[in-house]
Amino acid sequence: MCSAIAYMPQIPQLADNRVLRPAEVALALNLISRMDFLRLKAIARLHARGLPPDVSWDDLLQEAFTRALVGSRRKPHSVPMVAFLAGIMRSLRTEHWRRVRGGPASCETMRIDHQRDLSRAAELRDPASDIEQSLLASEQIEALERLFAGDLVVLGIIAGLAEGRSAAQIRAAMGISKTDYDSGRKRLRRTLLREGLTCAQN
Amino acid sequence: MRTKLTQSTPAAALGRILDQLDRELIEASDEDILEAARDLGMNPLMKGSAAFLGLRVPAMAQFADFFDGDALRSVLLERAAQNAAAPQLASKRAARRPKSDRAIERKDSADK
Repeated sequence: MCSAIAYMPQIPQLADNRVLRPAEVALALNLISRMDFLRLKAIARLHARGLPPDVSWDDLLQEAFTRALVGSRRKPHSVPMVAFLAGIMRSLRTEHWRRVRGGPASCETMRIDHQRDLSRAAELRDPASDIEQSLLASEQIEALERLFAGDLVVLGIIAGLAEGRSAAQIRAAMGISKTDYDSGRKRLRRTLLREGLTCAQN
Repeated sequence: MRTKLTQSTPAAALGRILDQLDRELIEASDEDILEAARDLGMNPLMKGSAAFLGLRVPAMAQFADFFDGDALRSVLLERAAQNAAAPQLASKRAARRPKSDRAIERKDSADK
């Protein structure tokens, strides 16, 4: 005896409506290599530190690719693709922080072709959001310090870099040799990459 | 003596740190990435590596499976160049419009 199901018209499988995301398009078009993709993942995870919870590292990454692909950001010929996309992520981070602070663009949804000149706009800040942002930033600085806990050379290098010092100035201030400095930079890079390749919470 | 003033808020400090650290990652070589991945027990050269977690990599079908990636890229670049040139052409056309109006007027006046 056949069951009633056997007579039912077979429902066709839903068409694969998977839409390629901007980063995937860039990868498929060979605009970046798979290694660049990982490099950019690490950069996106780094820049997402201290951002409001509604913005993830993936949002930053996809938005950067979108701006590059639609041409709202034009890549100069001399700039490598990874550096160009990292620059976009850097400015996106600044835009999000401005939004959190309650600046002029805070009430607007950011468009992909967002290029408004905000230099002359009056900025009305919400003091509470400033405090919140400071707390978020302090937490992230502490998290970065924990990442290199015990490695005084790397912590010194980070502090020096953040103050805009050159390698020679940092070496002189810390009293370390070039070899120690170089191996410290290598440890710094490797730890950042390790942190960037995982998907753990920052 | 300090030669420049720097902002001292935590947010500004974090911004400066992140800007410097991202350069480290931009300059990281493929070998650096592979070594860091190896530390985590990952092999990014393998298909479906955990290093790509959180990233959607087109694994099943890629554009390249259906189209020649380089050819498609050249078409896209050509289109982008055309789009970039389009506003210039439009402005040139707009500049020519008064001439054509005058031409119509002249034609009308000749009829009269």
